[in-house]
Amino acid sequence: MRILIPYIGRYKRDAILATLTVVLQVFATLWQPRLLQTVMEAIMAQDKTTVFNHGLGLIGLAVLGIAAGIANTVFSARLALNVATDLRTDLYGHVQTFAYADVEAFSASNLVVRMTNDINQIQQVVMATFQQVARIPLVFAGALALALITMPMQWWVIALMMIVIVATAVVTFKLMSKLFAQTQQDLEDVNTLARENLMGIRVVKSFVQEHSQITQFAQTSDRLRDVTTKIGEMFAVLMPIFFLTANIAVAGSVYLVGAHLTAHPTYLAAISSFTSYLTQILFAVINGAFMMTFASRAFISMGRIHEVLDHQPSMAFVPAGPAKVAGDVTFEHVTFTYPGDTRPTLEDVSFTAKAGEMVGIVGATGSGKTTLAQLIARLYDPERGRVLVGGVDVRELPEATLRHAVAYVLQRSTLFSGTIASNLQQVQPNATPAVMARAAEIAQAAEFIDRLPEAYDAPVEERSANFSGGQKQRLAITRGVIADPEILILDDATSALDARSEKLVQEALDRELTHTTTVVIAEKIASIVRADQILVMDNGRVVGTGTHRELAATNPVYQEIYATQKAKEGGQH
Amino acid sequence: MADIRNAGKYYAHYLARYWKGFIATAILIGISTWCIVVAPTYLGRAITQLTDYLQLWNDPVTRASADLASFHRTLITYVLLYVGDASALFVASWILARITAYSTGTMRVGLFRKMQRMKVQYFDQHTDGDILARYTSDLDNIFNALNQALIDIFLAIAQLVGILLMMFDQNVQMAWVTIASTPLALGAAAVVMRQASVAVNQQQTDIGAMNGYINEQVTGQKVLITNGLQQDSVRGFAPYNAKVRRSALKGQIWSGVLMPLMAGMSLLNTAIVIFFGSWLALNGQMKVGAALALVVVFVNYAQQYYQPLTTLTSLYGMIQLAITGARRVSEVRDQPDELAVPEGQVLDGLQRGVAIEDVHFSYLPGKEILHGVSIDVAKGEMVALVGPTGSGKTTVMNLLNRFYDVDSGRITFDGTDIRDFTLASLRANVGIVLQDPQLFSGTIADNIRFGAPAAGMDRVIAAAKQANIHDFISGLPQGYETRVSDEQSVFSAGQKQLMSIARTILTDPRLLILDEATSNVDTVTEAKIQAAMDNVIQGRTSFVIAHRLKTILNADKIVVLQSGRIIEQGTHAALLAADGFYAELYHNQMVFD
Repeated sequence: MRILIPYIGRYKRDAILATLTVVLQVFATLWQPRLLQTVMEAIMAQDKTTVFNHGLGLIGLAVLGIAAGIANTVFSARLALNVATDLRTDLYGHVQTFAYADVEAFSASNLVVRMTNDINQIQQVVMATFQQVARIPLVFAGALALALITMPMQWWVIALMMIVIVATAVVTFKLMSKLFAQTQQDLEDVNTLARENLMGIRVVKSFVQEHSQITQFAQTSDRLRDVTTKIGEMFAVLMPIFFLTANIAVAGSVYLVGAHLTAHPTYLAAISSFTSYLTQILFAVINGAFMMTFASRAFISMGRIHEVLDHQPSMAFVPAGPAKVAGDVTFEHVTFTYPGDTRPTLEDVSFTAKAGEMVGIVGATGSGKTTLAQLIARLYDPERGRVLVGGVDVRELPEATLRHAVAYVLQRSTLFSGTIASNLQQVQPNATPAVMARAAEIAQAAEFIDRLPEAYDAPVEERSANFSGGQKQRLAITRGVIADPEILILDDATSALDARSEKLVQEALDRELTHTTTVVIAEKIASIVRADQILVMDNGRVVGTGTHRELAATNPVYQEIYATQKAKEGGQH
Repeated sequence: MADIRNAGKYYAHYLARYWKGFIATAILIGISTWCIVVAPTYLGRAITQLTDYLQLWNDPVTRASADLASFHRTLITYVLLYVGDASALFVASWILARITAYSTGTMRVGLFRKMQRMKVQYFDQHTDGDILARYTSDLDNIFNALNQALIDIFLAIAQLVGILLMMFDQNVQMAWVTIASTPLALGAAAVVMRQASVAVNQQQTDIGAMNGYINEQVTGQKVLITNGLQQDSVRGFAPYNAKVRRSALKGQIWSGVLMPLMAGMSLLNTAIVIFFGSWLALNGQMKVGAALALVVVFVNYAQQYYQPLTTLTSLYGMIQLAITGARRVSEVRDQPDELAVPEGQVLDGLQRGVAIEDVHFSYLPGKEILHGVSIDVAKGEMVALVGPTGSGKTTVMNLLNRFYDVDSGRITFDGTDIRDFTLASLRANVGIVLQDPQLFSGTIADNIRFGAPAAGMDRVIAAAKQANIHDFISGLPQGYETRVSDEQSVFSAGQKQLMSIARTILTDPRLLILDEATSNVDTVTEAKIQAAMDNVIQGRTSFVIAHRLKTILNADKIVVLQSGRIIEQGTHAALLAADGFYAELYHNQMVFD
């Protein structure tokens, strides 16, 4: 709740007007029985003027109620939307200050859920609060007060009714809460089975296991059905008990009026309004219970948003420093452990690459290749040791300097929806067609871009779905080279390219970006065979450094990898 | 309209069997409603009796004859009526709760059962998310509607009918006054609902666009960070957010205004009833007690009369969702089933070989993928299919297992068209290992014996050993009883692949189709998988769809496909000597000293 207050505070006018209109609405609802009572008394007294005046008053009151209801909806909707929009802006802005480790810690999909579903949840609750929630205690308190004013000696009838209702509700919900948890579990099981069978439909069919899967699904589904049946049966008790209790209370109060009629004859005219108040108290209690469950979900959402907003970025950049650095890369005894891991992913890694060199990194999955590259781009900071770019510790470089110096191309670095040009200009704002064409030439993307009818203005769909795997990678490399980086990291970024295109890319890089240090991570030895220096990684350590020829002759880890890719004896010519 | 008809058919199919329950419910609701509408008249009578009592008591002459006995009897009847109402309502809700749970359970299993019978084509043409949504949101919407709307609709209609009858029975003039505002209220509700549905659609479109942006940007956060684009991303977000603010405001106002509007109309109507009732009481020829009672009773009715109207309008959205849900689920029900060929021959083993004879095939009419492909495989041979993405390699696999059927030409096992065998016996003889090894929740042992659930542990272990995964499994704390779940798997892609190979080994298929794993595993793990695959292929007829040529050098025949045609075939040595497409592919993939 705490985080919402400043946001609601920004829209005080809407909040106040929404509250005011709720009060008016409640007033109209509660005052009607009061006027009714006066009318009844006037009927008993045959007083036509009073009846007429109060009758008009009643209609005026109802019109006021409608107007207040509509106005309240407008104000609370505006308030809810303003709060949700501002909250989302702040949340989005805050997430964009996160370091990569922070995004990983929350997971991207989780952050998306918080910015969409959770905010939506809060928006609904804010709206409901100013439309409904404020109303419930008001109606409750108002109806209670008026009921007591109308027939003070019947306070205990009201008390008894409430005790029975609340006790019934509490007992039932307590019994049901265990069943609700069970439902969640069963629902998850059912969905898991459905999903697995969807994704594995070819497996199920080819093993002819349709029947065993149906049997298993039916068993799980029946468990879910039995729990929902139980819950439904318990719910079936709830409402009838509530209404019965309320009406017994009505009968009881009428009975008491009869018993004391000779002492308080005016009570006769008050019966109708008193029973109206009883009904309103009943509904206030029921709605209150309903709102509680609604609000509890919103509290969870608020907690989740809180968590993101309170999370401070785990990495800060120095505000000022050199604006430009050279492309030399040095690792000095670098050790790195991912948060939550017990074993380091990189252990005591040292190497030096001179500006303009090509460095290849090979090793089995999980050996630490990508982690090493991420430290150059300062997506993470080392636990021990230093990473230097252009002779400067990356922790002493301003963010802009480092980002301009290092271009990182991922295996799956899709483009954003827009056009090819808009993606390139995001990185190099003033890129002219000539500059774009040069970058595309280097990445071997020009040949297919030129064939597109709209060339560089060709649309890029979400997830770049309108391009093939190889085209996506070539576009990503185009984006990587367009700003003429000092260091270019290709993290398995040519995996979907055929060997010929890959070779052409590397030759173009050699020719065009002479000052650029290229770091190539690859599964295929063919991708790095021309490197000036190859690092062989094994379990987080560099177990070999040298050229392809040196490593192939001396390094057993390299030899093992190489053996799986080497041409068959006699197959060469 | 078609939607409503489809939904009607769907619900009729699943609900008709509960007709006894529905009739019982209708009767019970009738009883309950009767109690509810009759009860206020007793309250009115009680007031009349009290007024009479007061008059008798106030007059010293008649004071002695004033007594409350009849008043008490009235009150007891009043309470009994509500006891009747509560009991009937309880039993009715109880019956409907059971019907809801059981019918949605049947729908769920029915959907699953249907899914298992459908053609693979359907799964290829729809995303998993779309199909899964039919289990989750659509069945959920149906359940919610049945669970809440069903009883409410019953009650609302019964209440409406009951109150109308009672009102006209009590006082025709007052009854007309009470219902006079109905057209106004319903008209206003209709206008609001139409506006709301337009506004909410726009709202959903804009929210969808915004969520798409958030999703794309945050999923691509690594690209944003490495390019230093975070502030650009924040700037790009603003217009989406602003658009949602505008359209959602409209949507929320229109959809939010319905309830206060109906509540307000109810209030107004009550005021009119009081006003007119008291005018009637004073200007009519009524005794004070009767007049008071009339007003009290009709105030009660006026309030009750608006309840079902409000309920019905508020259920509108829920019913809409349930109709859409039923349409989407019945869409699946209308899909054609696979042809199981129950009368066909039972394939039992392979004697001579498999032949693909001049096969033409298209996934979509007019877009042919295979243009006359013929491949012969003798028993015990290994054939490798090679070619670029989209050449039709995977399509051949889809045809051998009858996931799809050929357009023309035929595929034969020992000379018999595979369409003449029962589907079950065909598939029991054909084993496949897929690129993406899909495992199922359960233990490792369950997964290995997936194709033969009755298989004993000795067979499971033997299969695991052949697949080179036994040592790994034995090393796990729980061994073969370790739980597998595809969600949060502790196993690497390579380990899963090996388990899926063991799964295929255990069923001992005559014909084997292997779709090689591609980029998920590094080359060292790949070598392990290769060794396991070699074990399976041993002594079996097999098709291998190869992505890395290293793995197929020993094939009896290599078939090179390009754009749905066979362009080369022969052994590795022969194809290299021919120096064509295959030779170039080979040279590009391999490293030469």
